[in-house]
Amino acid sequence: MTNQNKETFLDRIATKSGRARHQLSKHPFIPVNDLPETTLSGKSQDELFEIAKKNSEAVHVTFERTDTTSLASLLNSFLSKKDIQNLILPTTDKWSTYGLSEWEKERSDSAEFWLPESSRKENLEKANSADGAIGFADYLLAESGTITVATTPGQGRGFHFLPTHYLSIIPKSCILSRSRQAMHKYEDAISSGKLVTSNINFITGPSNSGDIEMVLVVGVHGPLDMTYVVVEDL
Amino acid sequence: MKVAIFSTCVVDLLFPNVGQAMVEVLERFGCETALPTDQICCGQPTYNSGYRKESNKVFYNEIDALLSANADYIVGPAGSCVAMLREYPHILKDDPEYSQKAQELADKSYEFSQFLYNVLGVIDAGAQLDATATYHRSCHMTRLLGEKTAPFKLLEQVKDLKMVPLPHLENCCGFGGTFSVKEPEISKQMVDEKVDSVISTGAKILISADASCLMNIGGRFSRRNESIKIMHIAEVLNHNVDTSRIRYKDQPTTV
Amino acid sequence: MTISTSDKPFLTRVKESENDHFMQQSVAKAQDAQWDKRTAAREELGNWEQWRDLGEQIRQHVIKYLPDYLEQFSDNVTKKGGHVFFAQTDEEAANYIKEIAKKKNAHKIVKSKSMVTTEIDLDKVLLSLPDTSLMETDLAEFILQEDDWDEPTHIVFPTLHKNRNQIQKVFKKLGYSGTNDPEEMAKFARKYLREYFMQADLGITGCNFAIADSGLINLVTNEGNADLTMAIPETQIVVMGMERIVPSLKEAEVLDNMLCRSAVGQKLTSYCSFSGKQVVGESDGPSDFYVVILDNGRSNALGTDFEPVLQCIRCGACLNVCPIYRHIGGHGYGSIYPGPIGAVLSPVLDGYEKFGDLPFASSLCAACTETCPVKIPLHNLLIKHREVMMDKLKMDHSFNNVLMKGAGVATSSPILFKMALEGDHLGSAPLSKSKKTTVDNLFNYGHIEKAPSLGAGWTNVRDLARPPKHSENFRSWYKKHKKEQQEGVSHD
Ligand code: SF4
Repeated sequence: MTNQNKETFLDRIATKSGRARHQLSKHPFIPVNDLPETTLSGKSQDELFEIAKKNSEAVHVTFERTDTTSLASLLNSFLSKKDIQNLILPTTDKWSTYGLSEWEKERSDSAEFWLPESSRKENLEKANSADGAIGFADYLLAESGTITVATTPGQGRGFHFLPTHYLSIIPKSCILSRSRQAMHKYEDAISSGKLVTSNINFITGPSNSGDIEMVLVVGVHGPLDMTYVVVEDL
Repeated sequence: MKVAIFSTCVVDLLFPNVGQAMVEVLERFGCETALPTDQICCGQPTYNSGYRKESNKVFYNEIDALLSANADYIVGPAGSCVAMLREYPHILKDDPEYSQKAQELADKSYEFSQFLYNVLGVIDAGAQLDATATYHRSCHMTRLLGEKTAPFKLLEQVKDLKMVPLPHLENCCGFGGTFSVKEPEISKQMVDEKVDSVISTGAKILISADASCLMNIGGRFSRRNESIKIMHIAEVLNHNVDTSRIRYKDQPTTV
Repeated sequence: MTISTSDKPFLTRVKESENDHFMQQSVAKAQDAQWDKRTAAREELGNWEQWRDLGEQIRQHVIKYLPDYLEQFSDNVTKKGGHVFFAQTDEEAANYIKEIAKKKNAHKIVKSKSMVTTEIDLDKVLLSLPDTSLMETDLAEFILQEDDWDEPTHIVFPTLHKNRNQIQKVFKKLGYSGTNDPEEMAKFARKYLREYFMQADLGITGCNFAIADSGLINLVTNEGNADLTMAIPETQIVVMGMERIVPSLKEAEVLDNMLCRSAVGQKLTSYCSFSGKQVVGESDGPSDFYVVILDNGRSNALGTDFEPVLQCIRCGACLNVCPIYRHIGGHGYGSIYPGPIGAVLSPVLDGYEKFGDLPFASSLCAACTETCPVKIPLHNLLIKHREVMMDKLKMDHSFNNVLMKGAGVATSSPILFKMALEGDHLGSAPLSKSKKTTVDNLFNYGHIEKAPSLGAGWTNVRDLARPPKHSENFRSWYKKHKKEQQEGVSHD
């Protein structure tokens, strides 16, 4: 029945447009220019870092740099600076890569974890009562100061939006110039089967709104503030 | 070089001083002018009102008239009307008889200041005017004709003339051809804001390259009993000219 | 229900807007601020004109192959376990959604800002269900909802017409006791809405772009409410205009960049999400995922001169540069789609009878065409609408209430010539005023303060220059001038 619904609809608009259906394979989309690829291209990782820093700070992000040896203490000072009582952390095997295995273990009593085996309700409740989240991003886009994250069973959608303060960890090698490069990475990962996800978030600074007299208000539905931590030796 | 004068209906009917100034300036720069007498109007008022087919008559007439002079260029004192001539090839692209003529016309049509600056290469027209003035940029000249620089460059060089930038330069003055007649309620609010902007500059003279906008803004000044002097850019560039000051683009400044 | 927001005649609405000084001031302020932000964001990107070429190409391409892309998208959604419904009318769409809400036994519905759901009047339809409440979660839409469903006035800034005191009053009804400080009020809304969010069982979102080759939908927001709407409830319904589609993530990314810069002068908004049905292993996100693809008059544009209107990405830039919108505001248009895009789109969707006035309410200054990121020739389409209406007028003489007014200038000879014929120098003598004008060098032959017929629209607002005597007009001068030149030559 849905199929009928689809066919009728598509036939009707094809007729109205005066163009036959099923022409696309002969006329694929070929872009008139390659600006998405060439804009901000050819930058070294150091240059991208500087650009990312500038643009992240421009969108009210606290931008930190560190390395795997000092990451743990940086996280601790984040927790105390924001006075975070209810921390939520992702379930991931990345901890050791970042030199955080110990740090994570120390937190296992005090912090909550977004657990793959927990229900929707349990995970969302945990994230909602968390006043802080520390998560891992896939990429950082230099041009816009954007972190990108694909949803995983251990780091769900609500993880990024419900807690009050948010810190995101990104390896320096994962700074990309623009959104186009991130799309290439995601398309590759999805088509090769390396990534199975229902959702990719591009997050650029804290949530905000100009709906009241165009006055910028930071922190509406999502986190009130954002911290990016770039790990230089990764 | 022979230049056909595209006089425009507004100048023909209402503002001889504008046409006169334009002719005198062009002739000063060595143009031989001709005024094709059969021309009436570019057809914009009817075309923009939706009378597509009826406008053809007007277009044909204008094309025949302006081309009849066999001039090298066609020059008019209104960015908007010239932009309309440039539209002809698009509008008449399927017209077997006129599509080519329309192209020919469009290719050699220029707005006055654009012609002076870009074709003749004039930088300093030699004019002098001791005053503070501001310039209104017409929408069609800027956006449809794409001419954003010529008038400013030429006015910059007028001796003793102090140009003050007009706030909200980008906003329409509310003329819009028949719009001003058909939607006076909205047009009034737009022209009022424009008048306020002009007043805020403290300028004594309002200059533009489009007589129609001037007619609108000036008309509202008058209705509001606010003082201003209105000058078309041709009048400014024809004011108190000292030919020894004339300078062309490729000419170095003489000290 | 239609896209119409008012039964009042156009002129009445214009008058009302003229008296709403707060609205006019805030629109002007918003336009000016956005002008700077937008221009800066575009300049920073560089090569803006070439980006526009690309944006236009993407949008033209998908419109050209629309049935193919919709099919691809629909198949991909279905493959992932989602459902797609194609709705020809607003009613079909609203009923389908209502049925899902019933079937899912939804009690608490959250919505994130979506023009299309406003178009199909979805809120009212869902609220007619017993035991069902609904919350608009975009801050502006929330304010409108709580203010007795006030109409939006801008497609990106729906509450542009409201000041902080009005908003404070609205919130007081909800138990707010704080000041009129925007930040404090936003915090209140956050808390209020968060509680509701956590109990929501059905989420309804719009869609900025549907991604054909993956079946994902792309949403672009600043507040994060859309992402909560897509994270918390078990069921999500996406409502999209049928034209909002792109081939792949790559084109979505291009258009997001252009959309954010054009809409709010940001490189990217806080949240750009690409999202679909929950996959195995994930605990939040919709386990039931529906997409409703809506025509509702859009196909009227297909195969006609108006097809480019479907390129629109709803950035609102054309509103933000429009001098008409600046003065009459969103409510002046009487359509949920105001401004230049509204003046072009509303008659396409819902006909000339209701929206025939809008295409005439433009000075054709072309600021909209110049700013549109996907190069829709908006002012040319307004002229096209006028053309269609004039043709229709000639065919059907009874169709004249609104249009005859527009036809006041119906003439194949140029209007100014006609005005001149009615008021040449001699003829205008009785009309002209001897009152001294304050304007120098415009009324060298006198001026007219009250012109008859066609000229009245002009002189209601401003003085009209009186034409010179025939012997003093430009052509006479030129003849004399040429003669003098020739005599000068022959005397030499
Ligand atoms: S018509 Fe163009 S400028 Fe206007 S909202 Fe649509 S995309 Fe933006």
